[in-house]
Amino acid sequence: MEDILEELKRAVLEFDVDNAHDIAAKAVQQGVDPLQAAKALTEAIRIVGEKFGSGELFLPDLVCASEVLKKAFPVINEEIEKKGKKQESLGKVVLGTVFGDIHSIGKGMVSTLLYASGFEVIDLGVNVKSEVFLDAVKKDNPDIVAMSALLTTTANEQKNVIEGLKKAGLRKKVKVIVGGSPINQEFADSIGADGYGATAPEGVKVAKKLLEID
Amino acid sequence: MQKGFKRNFDPIEILNSSQVEQIHSGTLHVLEDVGFKFDSQKALKVLEKRGCKVDHDTRIAKIPPYIVEECIASTPSSFMVQARDKDKSVRFGANTLYFMNSAGARYSDVKTGKVTMPTIQQNNEAVIVSDALDSVNVFPSYTPYFELEGVPPVMSCPVSCAQRMRYSTKPSRGAQPTDTFIWETKLAQAAGAQLLGCVEGAAPLSLSEDACNAAFYYLDAGFPIYIASGSIMGGSHPITVAGASVSHNAELLAIVVLLQSVSPGCGIIANNFVTAMNMATGDLNFGTAAVALHQMAYNQVWHSLYKIPVNNTGSAFSNSKKIDYQVAAEKLPLALCSALSGANMIVLHGGVTGELAYNPVLAVIDDDVANSIGRIVEGFEVSEGTIGLDVIAKVGSSGTFLSAPETRRLWKDEDFMPKIYDKTSYQEWWEGDKKTVIEKAEDRMQEILASHKPEPLTGDQENEVQKILDEATGYYKEKGLI
Repeated sequence: MEDILEELKRAVLEFDVDNAHDIAAKAVQQGVDPLQAAKALTEAIRIVGEKFGSGELFLPDLVCASEVLKKAFPVINEEIEKKGKKQESLGKVVLGTVFGDIHSIGKGMVSTLLYASGFEVIDLGVNVKSEVFLDAVKKDNPDIVAMSALLTTTANEQKNVIEGLKKAGLRKKVKVIVGGSPINQEFADSIGADGYGATAPEGVKVAKKLLEID
Repeated sequence: MQKGFKRNFDPIEILNSSQVEQIHSGTLHVLEDVGFKFDSQKALKVLEKRGCKVDHDTRIAKIPPYIVEECIASTPSSFMVQARDKDKSVRFGANTLYFMNSAGARYSDVKTGKVTMPTIQQNNEAVIVSDALDSVNVFPSYTPYFELEGVPPVMSCPVSCAQRMRYSTKPSRGAQPTDTFIWETKLAQAAGAQLLGCVEGAAPLSLSEDACNAAFYYLDAGFPIYIASGSIMGGSHPITVAGASVSHNAELLAIVVLLQSVSPGCGIIANNFVTAMNMATGDLNFGTAAVALHQMAYNQVWHSLYKIPVNNTGSAFSNSKKIDYQVAAEKLPLALCSALSGANMIVLHGGVTGELAYNPVLAVIDDDVANSIGRIVEGFEVSEGTIGLDVIAKVGSSGTFLSAPETRRLWKDEDFMPKIYDKTSYQEWWEGDKKTVIEKAEDRMQEILASHKPEPLTGDQENEVQKILDEATGYYKEKGLI
């Protein structure tokens, strides 16, 4: 049992994308507690995240480690659901790149780092319409909505989402974080966002601060 | 052995083959017709025996072209210098690029630019810092400071050499004035290392007795030699790049002839330290376009025609009095031109205020510079693996290459991440401590001093080093120099 948990951790730490799915399937097959398996994976990604924070690892490492999780977690999650268990997380974040904007790299980095830090992340993808954000807030009940925009022309779409949340009476239910190249603190304040992160690591710091974690 | 950087493309050539021939032919003419002054009867006798026409009154030797050609041919295209730590040895030549530490007479205060006499502790710390910097491969003589508080001037070279043996395991170059080569040779041998001997001409077209004596002594010890002829265009050299190239070539080749006549096959690295003259003040004018062109032409001639390893010193210094933008603006274009045109070694780290001062903080900044330049000359691989058509197809028009395993595996191969440059976001910088690159370099220097512990000399070696220094002190006292 110990061995397979170690194997799962090693898959993340050694960026073994190719074998991640099979190792997770093997863990399930061996009857390992899926929550323990999930814990092994999140512990490993936390180590990767820490090494990224200290400058020992870099974005490609972080993203590859998260690719390992993307392969392994569906298998583990299926088993968690099957057994009627529930995972713990620091909080739930719905995130996406706003409508009109198809840039995904920055959003992907934030997603990966949030995940590595222990958040549950619902990634809505790119070119996400305001109503999709609103539906996700209604359906998934997140703690945070995080929006990315890379273009000056799409930055205002972040404001539209916030206005939509207000109109739908959902604004007080969630914290809103915005980011992206054309965004700055002044803009974030002007559209009524709760937080702004200039970089992906800053985005995570802001998320933790808003949820009063650490 | 230290790997250095491998230049993986042909060096930039700024001369056509006809121009190269013209410079070489001009050089041969100067050596045969004008001749070269060797201030040493011992050297003149060697050259006479070799076939040169020697005038013992003027001490000028006229060197026939065939002797010059023979001596170029007998100089190896690459050679090793054994360091105290064998893993730190270097092999000069071919497409390898190393960096040599720069130097300065005194210590430059980072904040004020005030130049003061360095203490032995400041000297030792600067040696330790450069020993820790992976882009510093070799130390020159009297490094990093020419002068040391409490040390008689005549002892500064031996003491400086001893401190480098004590606080670094990297190879070191010796010096030549006032018989210092005797003590520096002994010190290196006591530490179990070779020294890169040093023979420096005195432009125009002459070699002092000290330099000749150093040549004989270093060759007798079996050391390879660093030859040089520091000079100023418009002063000790013609003002034009072409004229200075011929004059400088003649000086260095005359030294090559002496060395190869004494010890055929001895390793030689030929330095270019030609500077321009500031025509407003007469001072050395560092970092100019003419110096860059001179070095590039020189590298081409020596690399392609003579096949003798070359060193460039043009980027060692700046006229700026402080570590600032001017330092970078004067040093970096020259360093890059040197690297791209085939230099085997470049002097870079730490020199500021002309040759008047040095500070290890600048050496730390130059470490990032050297690593960036080194990474550039290594070029990049073009292959199926690095083009990665399959990866391009897999990502298509909707994915990202950031998550491709190839990105994680290969991104560092073709790039260098500077250790101290500010790469934070504006917000992080604004809300943070707003440190400049100089302040970050100071931090890194303190980290190095707290953590880097060079392998010390053994007890026996330390005793021997001290004995040699005592012997040198006695020698100079007897000569009335202390």
